[in-house]
Amino acid sequence: MNVKFEYPQELADKFKRAKKIEWITLGVLVCSAFLMFLTMGQSQTMKTAWLEDVLSLTPPISFLISSKIFLKPATKDFPFGYHRIVSIAYLCSAVALFSVGSYLLIDSLIKLIEMEHPTIGTQFFFGHQIWLGYIMIGVLVVTNIPIVILGYKRVKLAKQLHEKNLYTGSQMSKADWMSAVAAIVGITGIGLGWWWSDAAAAAIISLDILHDGFKNLKQAVLDLMDQVPKNMENTETDPLLQKVKETLEKEPWIETSWFRIREEGHIYFGEAFVVPKSEVNLVANIQNTIKKVTALSWLIYDFTIFPVDTLPDVPENN
Amino acid sequence: MKAYLFALFFLAACSQYPADPKDTLKRATHGVLRVGYSENPPWTIATADGPEGIEADLIKAFAKKLNASIFWQQGTENILFQKLEKNELDIVIAGLTNKTPWKSKKIGLTRTYLKIEKEKHVMAVTQGENRFLIELEKHLYLYQSKQP
Repeated sequence: MNVKFEYPQELADKFKRAKKIEWITLGVLVCSAFLMFLTMGQSQTMKTAWLEDVLSLTPPISFLISSKIFLKPATKDFPFGYHRIVSIAYLCSAVALFSVGSYLLIDSLIKLIEMEHPTIGTQFFFGHQIWLGYIMIGVLVVTNIPIVILGYKRVKLAKQLHEKNLYTGSQMSKADWMSAVAAIVGITGIGLGWWWSDAAAAAIISLDILHDGFKNLKQAVLDLMDQVPKNMENTETDPLLQKVKETLEKEPWIETSWFRIREEGHIYFGEAFVVPKSEVNLVANIQNTIKKVTALSWLIYDFTIFPVDTLPDVPENN
Repeated sequence: MKAYLFALFFLAACSQYPADPKDTLKRATHGVLRVGYSENPPWTIATADGPEGIEADLIKAFAKKLNASIFWQQGTENILFQKLEKNELDIVIAGLTNKTPWKSKKIGLTRTYLKIEKEKHVMAVTQGENRFLIELEKHLYLYQSKQP
């Protein structure tokens, strides 16, 4: 089996850019986690935001690790190659996103139930007394501007590269800045004397993060269970499968056929069972059709065709 | 949102921002400051005439600033912190440092107002009364800046 790069040239360049963006994201998150660590003091809000920052290191780290592995050529021990590491990285990121949501929800509910009144003191700079609430808001704004920009860039690249891990990373960025906004609103509310405002804002935001986290966690598990490939939002079956079906139906030498495709990281592996009309030129016909199917998209990385007498039991449609 | 921002600026302008959820500062000013102390010389020393010591003096000066009288309550740290959690006291002094095991309770600590070697000295306050805390920290800072 010859080794080819998973992505076509144009996307290979984009992948390089994605890698760069992930390194930058990693750097920004580490810096912001450090800044928050310095300012958080006793504030539970800032501690939560900090923990979230640390957890949101997972998508870029798992992306960068998997990007070192998935391109390795197939070996004797791994005859299908290393593509599935990408799905595993996706699972890790999804777990992290889900954990952030759960932690935030549980933490804020506990604060509300225990009626915890956040205590935020002051700091002195050259003799000037400044409320730490203002400093916290400042840190939240400064650290989240690059996160918003990077998150936006990642969504675009993720869709082009069929990179679910990158996509989860961008949703993690969304979770980050949304909870930062919640924290800013919360701290402002604390200043107005509304002790509950911080926890309440966090609880509301956590529901949205939990929703994203659950969606991705579910999809990561389904991907590893070889579910039919879906689009990036996981709402519908990839239209590419319909094209494969049409291609097979158009082949004059095929009487009837059935195929299945599964996702391994970025790419698709598939096999078709076909009942040929005659056995004349069978090998050439098979070769030819495989070429046509794999030419449909770079996503179809490996496609095989088995000639059979009768089709295997075709699974019912849901 | 607009109304919210307006309210924010309005309150900031009144310098009542951040505010106390339970109006501790308002209540104590020209009123009563409720202070718990546990003996720990030289910070707090119990005498027949009431508490003396560095921290007791600091609190007396603070009360004078607020034009408040002080309700002193002596007790073990255990009892005092239970009362502080229930908001039955405003301040607890006992020569505490920022490593005090009571900080996991539902209370607040002031910023470090005195550093002796590695010991960072703080006072404990009722949780979430941020305006009150700011005034106390301002008072402690003035003391701190006069130290050699």
